[in-house]
Amino acid sequence: MRSKLLVLLFAGVTVLGVRAYAHHSFASTYLEDQKMTVEGNVVQFLYRNPHSFVHVEAKGKDGTEVRWAVEWGAGGQLGSQGINRDTLKPGDHVVIIGMPGRNPDDHRLRMMNITRPSDGWTWGGTVE
Amino acid sequence: MTPNKLGLNLAMLLAVGLPALAQVDLSGSWASKNHEDAMERGAGPNPVDWAGLPLNEFGRAKALAFSQSTISMPERICWFQTQWHIAAGPFNLKMWNETDPLTGKTIAWVVGGWETRAPMTIWMDGRPRPSKNAPHDQTGFTLGSWDGDVLTAVTTHMKTGYMRRNGAAMSDQATMTTHFIRHGSMLTVAAVLEDPVYLTEPYILTRSYTESPTLLDSAGPPCIPGDEGVEEGRVPHYLPGKNPFLDEMNKVYGIPQEAAMGGSQTMYPEFRDKIKDKVANPGKCKRNCGN
Repeated sequence: MRSKLLVLLFAGVTVLGVRAYAHHSFASTYLEDQKMTVEGNVVQFLYRNPHSFVHVEAKGKDGTEVRWAVEWGAGGQLGSQGINRDTLKPGDHVVIIGMPGRNPDDHRLRMMNITRPSDGWTWGGTVE
Repeated sequence: MTPNKLGLNLAMLLAVGLPALAQVDLSGSWASKNHEDAMERGAGPNPVDWAGLPLNEFGRAKALAFSQSTISMPERICWFQTQWHIAAGPFNLKMWNETDPLTGKTIAWVVGGWETRAPMTIWMDGRPRPSKNAPHDQTGFTLGSWDGDVLTAVTTHMKTGYMRRNGAAMSDQATMTTHFIRHGSMLTVAAVLEDPVYLTEPYILTRSYTESPTLLDSAGPPCIPGDEGVEEGRVPHYLPGKNPFLDEMNKVYGIPQEAAMGGSQTMYPEFRDKIKDKVANPGKCKRNCGN
């Protein structure tokens, strides 16, 4: 029972991001003093270097499906936090909070927090 | 002992492979201190912040046309930085020497690569530089020489790239001169970029490293192509007069556009006196406040 509680607790713990360095400029790519929330289903989880990406399809204000590209840490960086290529799967319903990209046509966010309501898994922090 | 025998003994001593006194061992794993230009090296510079860059009008025009989304195009996803990224980037350095298998002498120093920068091989064997019309590649071509105990490396034949990660470009005609200066367990890298296409004067950056007992990798990790949100066929850019971030530095930090647009005058301390009446108080820091 205790071990099950520990597992549940671990699954729900928010892990702070480890700082790493971008090959592009975050300040030039994102509006770092703003936040937005995207809720939708994962269509692709690119676990890679230099930056992993979570692609989420979410309904826009007009009801059409919009595909968002959410930038995350490098594969090795996320791996050190217990996140691997199987952590997210296509079809997972997620809520993501992130900094919006400066170019609205990109539909792009920089990951700050991700939650999967189905099991309470969550991650929060920033990667550079 | 007769003078002849003394002379012979002395000659024999000198013939033993004594190392050239000027050469310093630069090999090792060097940890970057990143205390200079920390924000620019790490998270990256703000858009339209070219203060301190001696841009000419063409360099400024090219930078104004740049959209950061460009490097997320499918064909540019794993685009490489030039060797200038040794000076402008945040990463540690791994250095080693390559030797002649017969004589053991150093024929090249190598600065290991990163995920988006090729290794720099600094040839020390007197080989000629290729024709200016020879192909340019990710590594460029570098010849080195010792100036006292300072290794000076001159790199040409680089591809077009960026001198700052917010669109300030460097052309394929640029020359980079890098001085590797070891002082005990510290390494200072002083790099000078000269670009006849985009710069009016040399641009100089320095970095400091400390010797690290942690073994660094000599390359990688490799960049893996993937969808970063820019669809095939779209080329992000800003047309002349349409860059929406011209006033970014003024709004966020109170720095006038005249400074943010760069130019050689912005490199010199007396520029501060020229613009001091135009600097606005930005209020409480909201972004990249240094803490």
